[in-house]
Amino acid sequence: MARTQDSTITKKLTRLNMLVSGAALLMACATFVTYDLFTFREAIVRNLSIQASVAGSNSVTALVFNDSHTAENTLSALKAAPNIVSAGIYSLDGQIFAAYRRDPHTQLPSFVSADQAETQMFKDGNVMVTRSIVFQGKPTGIVYVRSDLRTLSVQLRRYAIIAGVVLAASLGTALLLSSVFRRSITEPIVHLAEVARVVSRDKNYTIRATRPAGRDELSTLVESFNEMLIQIQERDGALQSARDQLEQRVDERTFQLATANKELESFSYSVSHDLRAPLRTIDGFSHALLEDCADGLDEAGRTHLNRIRAATQRMGLLIDDLLNLSRLSRTDMHRQSLDISTLASSIASDLRKAQPGRQIELRIEEGLKATADPGLLRVVLENLLSNAWKFTSKRASARIEFGMTPSNGTPAFFVRDDGAGFDPAYADRLFGAFQRLHAMTEFAGTGVGLATVQRIIHRHGGRIWAESAVDHGATFYFTLSEMVAQGAQQ
Amino acid sequence: MNNKVILLVEDNPDDEALTVRALKKNKILNEVVVARDGVQALDYLFGEGAHAGRNTKEMPQVVLLDLKLPKLDGLGVLRRLRADDRTRLLPVVILTSSNEEQVLLNGYGLGANSYVRKPVDFDAFVAASAQLGLYWLVLNEPPPRRV
Amino acid sequence: MCTRVISGSRSLPPSSRGRAIRWSVGFGRRLATVALACTLLASILDGQQSKPTEYQVKAIYLYNFGRFIDWFTALPAAGGDSFAVCVIGQDPFGRTLDSTLAGELIGQRKVVAKRIARPQDAASCQVLFISSSEDGRLKDILALLDKLKVLTVSDMPRFSERGGMIQFVLEKDKIRFEVNLTNTEHAGLNLSSELLKVAIAVKRNSQPGD
Repeated sequence: MARTQDSTITKKLTRLNMLVSGAALLMACATFVTYDLFTFREAIVRNLSIQASVAGSNSVTALVFNDSHTAENTLSALKAAPNIVSAGIYSLDGQIFAAYRRDPHTQLPSFVSADQAETQMFKDGNVMVTRSIVFQGKPTGIVYVRSDLRTLSVQLRRYAIIAGVVLAASLGTALLLSSVFRRSITEPIVHLAEVARVVSRDKNYTIRATRPAGRDELSTLVESFNEMLIQIQERDGALQSARDQLEQRVDERTFQLATANKELESFSYSVSHDLRAPLRTIDGFSHALLEDCADGLDEAGRTHLNRIRAATQRMGLLIDDLLNLSRLSRTDMHRQSLDISTLASSIASDLRKAQPGRQIELRIEEGLKATADPGLLRVVLENLLSNAWKFTSKRASARIEFGMTPSNGTPAFFVRDDGAGFDPAYADRLFGAFQRLHAMTEFAGTGVGLATVQRIIHRHGGRIWAESAVDHGATFYFTLSEMVAQGAQQ
Repeated sequence: MNNKVILLVEDNPDDEALTVRALKKNKILNEVVVARDGVQALDYLFGEGAHAGRNTKEMPQVVLLDLKLPKLDGLGVLRRLRADDRTRLLPVVILTSSNEEQVLLNGYGLGANSYVRKPVDFDAFVAASAQLGLYWLVLNEPPPRRV
Repeated sequence: MCTRVISGSRSLPPSSRGRAIRWSVGFGRRLATVALACTLLASILDGQQSKPTEYQVKAIYLYNFGRFIDWFTALPAAGGDSFAVCVIGQDPFGRTLDSTLAGELIGQRKVVAKRIARPQDAASCQVLFISSSEDGRLKDILALLDKLKVLTVSDMPRFSERGGMIQFVLEKDKIRFEVNLTNTEHAGLNLSSELLKVAIAVKRNSQPGD
């Protein structure tokens, strides 16, 4: 638990307390000590002054009657005061009359003028007091006493020790008290920090922090924190239910889609089976008629039956193509990166194998890559290349190209031929199912091929368009990007 | 050659007539037994119902099976055939209009030997029949009969 | 000192405007002269003050003796408002005594110098200096002074033995004094111990009187 650890906030609070207490104490001590030392100094001066005055008044007769010997005797009594460095009696003219030296090498001022009387000076660690000697109202001389400040230093040292002891004791007490009372602040904070950390780490929003006693900012903080957790939980709940709803809806749609697909599949199955059967009958028995009743049939009759047969077979092809087209919309698409150039080359070589006699110049750009469903892309290229093959069949020699060209930023693949081309005026019908821009007699085809291609391209999210001029070939462009096709004919 | 019976399971009389005609055109003169639906086919093969008393030891050389049949459909028949020891190894050629992938899978999955799509163009059908006949009746080694 | 000299006789007569210029020019010259005079005077005076004469010192002592005696019990009301320091016999002090005592006070009484001829006149004295000229008459003088509260001071030899109270003594170029306590007590004079401290000797008679 966080209690046993020394969290930073505890340290901070303790440091704060100690600093404050320490500073206050220090200031108080300093003030007192300074004040005391000053008064002490004054006391020293006063004492010295008294000693000087006493020495002076005791030297009056000596001064008056010019007895420096007696005066010196009087001064020597100052030996009893170990702090006195030197003393001197000066006559009114300022000359030294008698002297006392604690230490024989001490210097005394040789001249003290009358206006220096009644002064005291602190200098070089000593204090000098000069007083005038007055007897019966008459100035008789000047007494000078010099003392060291040993008592002051002793006092200072004493104070330092006392201050030190007091400070240590007080700080210790402060530390003790602080450690008892800071808990009321740090515990809630540390607890809250820990709860927040756990909530964050485990993403568990059900945990709540315990509210501390009292009504202060800390309790407000904890309450708000808990409130926020509740809100997060609620939001999470709402999010989850929304997601669930969405999932449910997605499931429903997927189910609907699957059902639709299945229905379509069974429909195609039915179509392919049931529509073809009568066609077989028509064609079969037309054939039988032609064979068995050949005698009863004239040229016209035979032609009619042939036409019937042709139409029937064509219908069969149409049914096949339609089924293919519908199947393409339903199959799963698996995009992968593939070499589109290789695919084009293989399809082209197949076409060449089927019709080796044709003079076709093939120009296929190497190394092109595309991301698409391989099977569906094959269908696209098969359709486009076989179209190119078909529509150049009227030429003696032709050229078919496959490559890539950047168009408006997105690279587009193209299949170009220099065959029959088509009238661009009717370009909008190009990709419609069963739409043809050429007569059956010119070029065979059901007209489903391009519709198939378009559907595949759109499933890939690409675009397909064509440019042409009659008898000057055609170029079909397509892209396989994520772009959604706009205004495309389905 | 005359012992080799062909069982044709087909409900459409037109398709039946055309199939027989195609076979004849190809000089395949084997006896063709026609079953109009799945039940009839099974009755014949197992010697039950209308065909009770048939010598079930004599199985057809090949079964031409249409899928879309009333009562029991083609796949159901196939399943029954493959479930029974007597007909487990019987060659079955599925002859039908659909070439839906799933249908192919079903057919092969259930043990059909071959799958041929009936073209609309009769000439193509005649050609296909010729190949069928050549293969199944002449070339293919039938599974040995159990005595 | 020098200020007094300037303001003495050398003042200019007041006149017209041109005075200022002439005055400032003359001032410089005067300043120089005055300075010279001051220096000379100072040296003369200093010379005089650095070596006080014997009787200057004795005069000062005479005055100061009076300060160290407890006169409150001793001063007679008949003394009037002054404190008299008298000299009997040939006056060795001269003007020195007067100038020394001028303006001084003892016990709030004005100190005056008096010369008396007869010992009887000493009744109005507090301090009496008996000149060595009276050496022969000493006994008589002292007898007449008996019962009077007068401090007797002299510099005649063996004064204190002969009934005198304070005797001036010359010791190593310094003027000191002896005190005869018996005589002072006899006169009822209370001498301060401070005074006794600086006395070169403090004596008592082995027998009362002589």
